[in-house]
Amino acid sequence: MTRDVWAYSEYDSVANEVLTAANETANSISGRAVMVDLAGIRDGTASFGHKLVLKGSGLPSASPEVAAEALYRAAKAAGPDVIMVGATKNGREIASRLAVKLGRGCLADVAKVSSDGRTLSGERGEYAGKVQTRVSSALPCVAAIKVGSYTAAAAGQGEVAELQVGELSSRSKPVSERKREAAKVDLKAAKIIVSAGRGVKKKEDLGLIESLAKALGGTMGCSRPLSSDLGWLPEEYHIGLTGVNVKPELYLAVGISGQLQHIAGIRDSKVVAAINTDKEAPIFQAADYGIVGDLYQVVPALEKALASRHG
Amino acid sequence: MKIAVCVKHAVDETELKIGPSGGPVLAGAAAKMSTFDKNAVEEALRIRSSLGGEVVIFTVGPADARKSMKEALAMGADRGVHVVADTEALDSMLVSDALGKAIHNSGPFDLVFCSEGASDTYCGQVPPMLGERLGFSYAGYARKVEVAGGSSKVERTLEDSVETVECPLPLVVSVVSEINEPRYPTLIQIMQASKKPVEEATLAQLGASVQPLVKVESMVAQPMNRKRVVIEGTPEECAGKLVDALAKEGVLPR
Repeated sequence: MTRDVWAYSEYDSVANEVLTAANETANSISGRAVMVDLAGIRDGTASFGHKLVLKGSGLPSASPEVAAEALYRAAKAAGPDVIMVGATKNGREIASRLAVKLGRGCLADVAKVSSDGRTLSGERGEYAGKVQTRVSSALPCVAAIKVGSYTAAAAGQGEVAELQVGELSSRSKPVSERKREAAKVDLKAAKIIVSAGRGVKKKEDLGLIESLAKALGGTMGCSRPLSSDLGWLPEEYHIGLTGVNVKPELYLAVGISGQLQHIAGIRDSKVVAAINTDKEAPIFQAADYGIVGDLYQVVPALEKALASRHG
Repeated sequence: MKIAVCVKHAVDETELKIGPSGGPVLAGAAAKMSTFDKNAVEEALRIRSSLGGEVVIFTVGPADARKSMKEALAMGADRGVHVVADTEALDSMLVSDALGKAIHNSGPFDLVFCSEGASDTYCGQVPPMLGERLGFSYAGYARKVEVAGGSSKVERTLEDSVETVECPLPLVVSVVSEINEPRYPTLIQIMQASKKPVEEATLAQLGASVQPLVKVESMVAQPMNRKRVVIEGTPEECAGKLVDALAKEGVLPR
């Protein structure tokens, strides 16, 4: 019997990352990776190798409740060893629901996944990134794969199969969906990030930060208070445990005190620099270079220094 | 309106110490109510104040978890149910099973509040697992909850959009911190909290599973090896020195 490792995400880019994890796992258990597609919504995209298209009434659907039930019915019929789901917000719900439906273990937000054929294990950051924990579950199991922890799989050729999963519906009904303004920036892929925190006094002053980011050829980000509490920037700018985890070459924290939950999101940065008026701010413990000073003076000075370097 | 709130007595990540073997010292580590759970308690209290009813706190954890229970009661919840269990051998499947059974036994509830994830482990699995186990409708990552006439409207904050969903009650919802500003209990409320009733139950009494399906294989501390160079001088001098240092690191655009 073939041992299948399924990969699923509602986002194409994440699905391709999950497929890489599935390919690696499949190789180590002499099995095959299969991209699962709900109702052929990926027909137009590149071939993903082996593909299983689930068809049923109510599909395609944006509801994680529906996706979980569809995957469950398919899993009962096809018996994969592992179901990997991209750990987006909806993906975590899908993976968790699947685990309950199947009565199996579920690894949460894991990277560096490996299998010995009997169990699946993976690594996850815990305690605001202070600890890397390796967790495992007996096969078959479910795993939510940390977004951004694998590079996207290259397109490949493979079999395409279809499976009918019947009628599906969700208890909750969408009323409206407001797409955020198309993200101008991809913080996950950014090489240089200049990030703003509470030290910025007014929303208008974000122009200073944006201007410096531009001078560096980088991208602006922010700490949680600016996006979540003050609403000065959309949520996709929020860097930290509950926001985006970044890994730039240079992370410049401006007016950010450096709560552990923020640090958790910048640990993988190559170089961290910080500007803050409070010399006791925890950000300085998490930075390679620290300037104790007023961002309103230091940021323009930095821009000048950068300009003269090129001049 | 009968409202349940699930609260985790979480390891205080800011106080966590690393032992000589390179792993965290979890035995006896300082613990506190998981940061975002306060938002869940606050939202339940907010709905109780407009629609009336009762707020019941549920927690699964060792005897020490009573502290977080007390904190939630001090914020204004009416009573609590403490499922006594050893923290080190718990996974999301086990905790959601215990919470689901405890909530079912003390029900029926109209609403169950959780936070998006615990501040120590941040798995985010228990809330959707609970929704699935209870067979309630579910909305994760809520930044706004409105309840009226047996139904609810929930604004969910997702990666690239804000989605509004209508969910029939009963409903399990996980909240994000932007939903509200949690209140601080007064000294009198803190004193009164110890008099509020808390029921105790064990996993066995609930008929809940006692074997976690996910096991911890190893834990390795991730020390932050930063240079911590302090740059001093006038703003201009500091700026110049930082640019030089970053150029030397090779992280500036050419």
